Amino acid sequence: MMQGSIAAARRDVPANRGALVLRLALRELRAGLAGFRIFLACIALGVTAIAGVSSVSQSLTEGLERDGSAILGGDVSFSLIHREANAQERSFLAQRGDVSMAATMRAMARAGEAGASLVEVKAVDAAYPLYGEAPLEPAISLADALSLREGVYGAVADEALFTRLDLKPGARLTVGEAPLEVRAVLKGEPDKLAGGIGFGPRLMMSEAALRATGLLQPGSLVRWHYRLRLADGSGRAAEAVVQAARKALPDAGWEVRTRANASPALERNVERFTQFLTLVGLAALLVGGIGVANAVKAHLDRKRDVIATLKSLGATGGTVFAIYLAQVTGLALIGSTIGAAIGASLPYVVAHVFGALLPLPIAPGLQPDELTLAIVYGVITALAFALWPLGRVHDVPAAALFRDEVAPQRARPRPRYMLGTAAAIALLAGLAVVLAYDRRVAVIFVGSAAAVFVGLRLVALAVMAAARRAPRPRSTILRLAIANIHRPGALTPTVVLSLGLGLAVLVTVTLIEGNLRHQLEAALPERAPAFYFVDIQSADAERFDAFVRQRASSAMLDRVPMLRGRIVSAKRVRAEDLKPAANAAWVLQSDRGITYADTVPAGSRVIEGEWWGADYQGPPLVSLEKRIADGLGVAVGDELVVNVLGRNITARIANLRTLDWQSLGINFVLVYSPGTFRSAPHSDLATLTYLNGSTAAEENALLKAVAASFPAVTTVRVKDALETLAGILAKLVLAIRGASLITIAAAILVLGGALAAGHHHRVYDAVVLKTVGATRVRLVAAYALEYLLLGLATGLFGVAAGSIAAALIVRQVMNFAFVWLPGPAFLAAIVALALTLLFGLVGTLVALGQKPAPVLRNL
Amino acid sequence: MNDLPQFPDSVPAIALSGVNLSLGRGAARVHILKDIDLHIERGAAVGLVGPSGSGKSTLLMVMAGLERPDTGRVVVAGDDLGRLGEDALARFRGRHVGIVFQSFHLIPTMTALENVAVPLELAGLADAFERAEQELVAVGLTERLHHYPAELSGGEQQRVALARALAPNPTILIADEPTGNLDETTGKQIIDLMFAGHAARKTTLVLVTHDAELAARCDRVVRLRSGRIETPREVSA
Repeated sequence: MMQGSIAAARRDVPANRGALVLRLALRELRAGLAGFRIFLACIALGVTAIAGVSSVSQSLTEGLERDGSAILGGDVSFSLIHREANAQERSFLAQRGDVSMAATMRAMARAGEAGASLVEVKAVDAAYPLYGEAPLEPAISLADALSLREGVYGAVADEALFTRLDLKPGARLTVGEAPLEVRAVLKGEPDKLAGGIGFGPRLMMSEAALRATGLLQPGSLVRWHYRLRLADGSGRAAEAVVQAARKALPDAGWEVRTRANASPALERNVERFTQFLTLVGLAALLVGGIGVANAVKAHLDRKRDVIATLKSLGATGGTVFAIYLAQVTGLALIGSTIGAAIGASLPYVVAHVFGALLPLPIAPGLQPDELTLAIVYGVITALAFALWPLGRVHDVPAAALFRDEVAPQRARPRPRYMLGTAAAIALLAGLAVVLAYDRRVAVIFVGSAAAVFVGLRLVALAVMAAARRAPRPRSTILRLAIANIHRPGALTPTVVLSLGLGLAVLVTVTLIEGNLRHQLEAALPERAPAFYFVDIQSADAERFDAFVRQRASSAMLDRVPMLRGRIVSAKRVRAEDLKPAANAAWVLQSDRGITYADTVPAGSRVIEGEWWGADYQGPPLVSLEKRIADGLGVAVGDELVVNVLGRNITARIANLRTLDWQSLGINFVLVYSPGTFRSAPHSDLATLTYLNGSTAAEENALLKAVAASFPAVTTVRVKDALETLAGILAKLVLAIRGASLITIAAAILVLGGALAAGHHHRVYDAVVLKTVGATRVRLVAAYALEYLLLGLATGLFGVAAGSIAAALIVRQVMNFAFVWLPGPAFLAAIVALALTLLFGLVGTLVALGQKPAPVLRNL
Repeated sequence: MNDLPQFPDSVPAIALSGVNLSLGRGAARVHILKDIDLHIERGAAVGLVGPSGSGKSTLLMVMAGLERPDTGRVVVAGDDLGRLGEDALARFRGRHVGIVFQSFHLIPTMTALENVAVPLELAGLADAFERAEQELVAVGLTERLHHYPAELSGGEQQRVALARALAPNPTILIADEPTGNLDETTGKQIIDLMFAGHAARKTTLVLVTHDAELAARCDRVVRLRSGRIETPREVSA
């Protein structure tokens, strides 16, 4: 009778199965999460990294959007290089809203005996700033500070200029031909960010003051910005103005930006950097995955009896698998949610703690999309690493309940679980690549991660095989150490994997950081220029050459014509409709320096097409840098239109060049045939290279002399510029290091977990060996030797894998030459080795403290 | 899988013919069961006795479909176990086989009630908990329904295990040294309960034991030595 009712009930099984599986999974978790601490920590760490990076980045992007009008200086901004807006353009702008003009350029500020300094000049009109405020100290009005008093214009400057030239408010400076009175310290500039990196402190003056300097010469590198404040400040209204400008003034050649893309370069950099950090976070998650696999395996080993019991009670292999899958998924969700919660709080922490120091505006907020994605990453990673051990549950024999020793279980789960593992890994890799800003970088990452995993597995197998085949040494200690490496259930695979991965990441980060520093400090080409001179007027050029040669007779002076121009279209496709590769997008973002030349510039090599003859007189030809051409999708023979000085110049691409950006020589993406611009108004750019090196005193003397005799020429000292870059780099390195620390923390956690998992073996061994007369010193020596052997083999691989990864990133992604730095690499390896020994021996000492009797009674 | 044929009373509950089983690999391979032919009638109580290592537990596993013989045929409750896949065997056990182990094998994270309910839940019964409660009441554990195994004495745990084994009303109840971990008095109580359940439900009982007195309570004793059935002999009831 009852059998009948069971039979009838069975028909409903599939419908109720899900609920039953969940119920049993929850009951099974009543024992608590003690065995899952490392599982949860690993997933939470990785997800924290990913969620934190994306939340902070999104908050920065939102900060940039929120402050878009202030950063841009208006609702819409029109920028011109070399020339002011003409009457027609001015009238177009004036009809649409309030206009404010600002001109920016680099110049030299001279302060008599105190010396001269490169300054970033900004000349503003009375309407400045349309949005935000420019606070001064002392707190006087900007109009007052910049006004003409007793024939002298006022100016305000960054604190840095006051320090550099030892100024006090009220001090006099000369810029070009105009004396200026610096009346206040400029404490903030709402539209500073859109201006990009400045190589000198800001010096703000009125438009009239700039005109009085005499620096506004034909071809001078001046940017004229016209900002509009619209009555209707909506995005749609701004876009309508942009469209109207395109239609009414198609050849203006100005760069138009709205609040929505106030600083595309900045957003691009935030996005690019976010990707790097996200990959570092993914690395943390991958390392944590090992911890997940170890924890799941240990959990299932502990549950072997329960699994067998369930099977003896009628549960199918699939049902048991589903129960434990539900548990692991639930735990992964818990770990991921913890990580996402910590990650979500990071923007608030950053805004609160570092808000004042942060160079970007930040609008901290919850980012549901980013947090969900981070949780998805966490759960998929957990599944990718857990499905394999989980799949083996299917075949746990119920016969295990009748006797301890049953036929050994097969190592591989059924094909469906292997396929599931492969699918989870593919999904993880797919997400990483598809969602990446630069897919090439993501593909390199995925490939490297796969190679490191496979490599470490092979290293573990090789180490175990070598230990198995090693001749049996006479020393008991050595024999025990070697046996521990290859015995069944040895820790070798997990230790090698976690230590190896952690070390590989550590070496990669260390070497990248080392290379970045090397680039800026040590790797400067021996014959790098000491100075760049900008805005040398054609009329002054010969005199300038003679002046410099006289004062630096042993140095090499190079001078080339320079103009600025914006790419308007390529192959008849408008620049805004082009789809450039990520590494070439920057070329389209703003104006570029261009030059013309009779012969191939030094440091360049033509690799496709032909250089024009020295006496070429035909229609305009242009030479393009090869990688940029590839990124823009153009080739020899294609047409390129560039707007220079308000005119669209159409030229055919005659050849492609490779060039060495690192030489710091004069490099231009675009080089034209000479006839194109010879008659256009332009200035020259020069570099000065000391062939036998130079002293600071020598350089300072020249800087001062040039500033005094050529007030219009701007001198950029390479060392100062590099220092500015180094400062920025130091901040980036700090962020990379922070994110990498999470990866390394995950690796240490996994390593610690793996060693702890082997603890009961250690206790057993220690007790048995002590019973038969082994002293503690001998046992410690044997264990230390085991860890040392493992650590050495893994260390070598970690250094090799990390070096290859770093070389790939430095060469392929950062486009530098890679220099292998053995010092930092091996230092990282030694640290990792010391950690392994420490972790291993701490566990061992506990094992050695065990009294034999209680353990033996329970064997 | 309830479309398996219901077997008529005339068919034996368990029929093993020509069963051989070896375990282990290579040099460690041991021939454990040798040419076993055994028929057990429906409703009978059979004691399996023999020295350690004679193959008693392995024979139980073969009957429960937990171990597949290398050769021979195993028909339990009319089902030829050799024809059932892994999942069908699991379902077969859920419906036809109740097992009582020497070490109880209760699930430590579940209460007594939940432990008994598990096979009924796996069978998809809506009233699993009501029935589980009845079974626990029947073995005298009314006051212990919501206790976890760790909170129960050995005898109580074995009573929960017995209730769990009997709950789905299995065709056969197999017990592997069910009193091996219990003191004499408690062991006797468990055996009384087991025989009472067997008698009330007409369940076929197969019992592995070293205890001659206990074996004597069975309808029939099967003696194993070195993997062979020695001399099956009838025991007067």
